[in-house]
Amino acid sequence: MAILEVKNLKKNFGELEVLKGIDFSIEKGDVMAVIGSSGNGKTTLLRCINFLETPDAGEIIVNGETLFDAEKKQSTSEENIRKKRLHFGLVFQNFNLFPQYTVLGNVMLAKELLEKERPDYRKNKKQIKAEIEAEAKKLLDDVGLSDKLDYYPHQLSGGQQQRVAIARALALKPDILCFDEPTSALDPELTAEVLKVIKSLAESKMTMIVVTHEMSFAKDVANKIIFMDEGKILEEGTPEDIFENPKNQRVKEFIGGIATI
Amino acid sequence: MIELSLMFQIDWLEVKEVLFSLNEGFIKSLEIFVLTLLGAVPLGLVIAFGSMSGIGIVRWFNKFLVWVIRGTPLMLQLLIIYYGPGIILGNNWWGSGATGRFIAAMIAFILNYACYFSEIYRGGIEGIPKGQYEAGEVLGMTKSQIFFKVVLLQVIKRIIPPMGNEIITLVKDTSLVRVIAVYELMWNGQDFIKSEGIIWPMFFTGIYYLLFSGLLTLFLGWLEKKMDYFKV
Repeated sequence: MAILEVKNLKKNFGELEVLKGIDFSIEKGDVMAVIGSSGNGKTTLLRCINFLETPDAGEIIVNGETLFDAEKKQSTSEENIRKKRLHFGLVFQNFNLFPQYTVLGNVMLAKELLEKERPDYRKNKKQIKAEIEAEAKKLLDDVGLSDKLDYYPHQLSGGQQQRVAIARALALKPDILCFDEPTSALDPELTAEVLKVIKSLAESKMTMIVVTHEMSFAKDVANKIIFMDEGKILEEGTPEDIFENPKNQRVKEFIGGIATI
Repeated sequence: MIELSLMFQIDWLEVKEVLFSLNEGFIKSLEIFVLTLLGAVPLGLVIAFGSMSGIGIVRWFNKFLVWVIRGTPLMLQLLIIYYGPGIILGNNWWGSGATGRFIAAMIAFILNYACYFSEIYRGGIEGIPKGQYEAGEVLGMTKSQIFFKVVLLQVIKRIIPPMGNEIITLVKDTSLVRVIAVYELMWNGQDFIKSEGIIWPMFFTGIYYLLFSGLLTLFLGWLEKKMDYFKV
């Protein structure tokens, strides 16, 4: 069974149709890269999946459970939307770390707030906190930042900040981790260190959707690629399909254009 | 020679009397200062949220209020709030005593400062990048958790300098309550011109204001430094 199915997803901003019916599905452990030129709905797609935008039509199904169906009346209770959101994690282009918390604090905050709702929180407070902290430290170790636990975001490079953001998203154990152009704000060297982390996540079979302009990364790490143009998926397939034998003319031009540089 | 020494002879009895009176006035000024902050800091937040409300009528009411209060002199507001009920409505809520005048003054001050604070808060809240809210949302945080755990401290850091300005202004604005005969520091200082024909107590009030605003400046600087550990 697919871990995520998106059916006929549509989103308008006023008159502007940003998504004109997006369909795809991914399996557990898939890494799907979303490519295409800027302004064609890639980010909006991720925002819809993460419930930062409400789609105007379509369905979002995770593990067979329909989280969103535009045909049915949605529960808009905060509680409900939160529960749905927790299936997903989102790493932003400009990190959006919380500036007043340390690296460790950034990773622990949301989990701590969530665990406070456990009925046994008061009783086992110390133990729960210790577990969250140990977990956060492990995640930060995984992204290579165990020596920066007490730093504040402004003391870190962009690449380090983005790695904290990845650890922060992983702390809530999402089923699917989404990346919105995670390296667009970084120079090539810092890009490499962030991509390395995403690659190691792919190796540990984390299910991921990555909106990216890093074509070699998409080619190497993703096992599935969708090419978006003007709010539609023009072509989807394996990296070989898209990069070696693109069928669609627009995709051919895009890939060809990159190859000649 | 004798005359000159007489001129500079300090009349310690007079000094004692003046300082006693000025201290008394200063306590009143301090009361106005503290009570205005206690009332206006939270009320300002209510007005700030009101002027950002999604409900049109609430938003417009609050924006209108802020326009009127910021657009007219505080002295005028004091006079209208104190004399208005008695003369327009024929019913003087405030009675004839000092307590009534003081309450009327406090209402004018709290309302006036709350409107100024609300605009500072609004600027601070609206200045927080949308990404901070969205990062909280995708991490499954509730709206109130995002406000209290993520946004609030960043807002506080941003508003300390403009709030500091208003607070220093408030120190000196307390002297306005004299128009409805609340006896504060400057009133008591000026009183010696009429009663004793001496002007130095009046100048001396300046030292009180300077020392008090000096202390506040030091405190605000310390607070700003305390928040230096992160950048927004």
